[in-house]
Amino acid sequence: MEKENNIPNFKVPEGYFETFEERLFSKIAEEKFPKTTGFKVPDAYFEKLDERVVASVTEVKSGKVINLFPKKYFGYAAAVAACLLIGFTLFTSPANDSSSLDALQLAAIDTYIEDGNLNFDIYDLTSYIEDKDIKDIDFEMHQFSEDNLEDYLIENLDAATLINEQ
Amino acid sequence: MVEEKELVAALQTEAEKEKAFRELVAQYKERLYWQIRNMVLDHDDADDVLQNTFIKIFRNINSFKGDSKLHTWMYRIAANESITFINKKAKRNNVSIENVKDNALRNLESDIYFEGDALQLLFQKAIATLPEKQRLIFTMKYFEDHTFEELSEILETTTGGLKSSYHIAVKKITEYIKTHED
Repeated sequence: MEKENNIPNFKVPEGYFETFEERLFSKIAEEKFPKTTGFKVPDAYFEKLDERVVASVTEVKSGKVINLFPKKYFGYAAAVAACLLIGFTLFTSPANDSSSLDALQLAAIDTYIEDGNLNFDIYDLTSYIEDKDIKDIDFEMHQFSEDNLEDYLIENLDAATLINEQ
Repeated sequence: MVEEKELVAALQTEAEKEKAFRELVAQYKERLYWQIRNMVLDHDDADDVLQNTFIKIFRNINSFKGDSKLHTWMYRIAANESITFINKKAKRNNVSIENVKDNALRNLESDIYFEGDALQLLFQKAIATLPEKQRLIFTMKYFEDHTFEELSEILETTTGGLKSSYHIAVKKITEYIKTHED
């Protein structure tokens, strides 16, 4: 009777042997790379960093509540503002289209945003949106045609993303 | 060291927020700094991006739902802040991202906070040729020793994709060093 080989009941991750050489040669190549960057930081930088970070955070926080004008001046300020308002109403032309928001050209708004002046990112935006608001957004898929989606993907996906997502 | 769950709970409680934030800064400042420095190269730029990263963390901690780990979420903010910084710098100076990187590398040669030798400088030049996300993957894995599983959570990419991107990066860097070495 032929002796059967004992096969251990071990498994390897999918694609392990197919990618073994790639990983091995990558490891060998890495051995020749420098182990450190050569970067350094100013003396005592990390020791002083905590206080600076906390100070900048509390500055941002307290920026909203600092009382620039003591309450006792509010009465005078209101009186001056009322005079100015009456003055403007009486002596300026009633409608000045060029200064209204409607007159702002869309292109100018686009440029303003593209130049990075509207400094919102995903973290800022999400802090203004409640879960309920997100649920209420109408994500109707039919508003995007397949052609539009395809155009968008062709224009916006770069090679690095494709490599990373493969 | 305070456990992450307790730290999150304290950060989301108004009375304990500042104390917990100090603890958070103490625990993560160095790791986040080096992650950012490896991307922006210059110390002052790294300092600016690090400050912004912590401000964002502080502002948005109440909306942190715990879907990912706190440190994963922070590394992700730092990664996004670094890439946003480079893009904004390019836009502000009206140059390409490649120009921004070239300038940073040129400055590195005379930077008092860089004491690398010729090979370390060449290594930085080689890393700078990688696309932004691949550069992030390579530096976070090679210098900061993150596992692919951690990187997968931070960068929201599959481990398979990360591994192949990393190996491609190693290949490109090796080629660059080989061609540019004297």
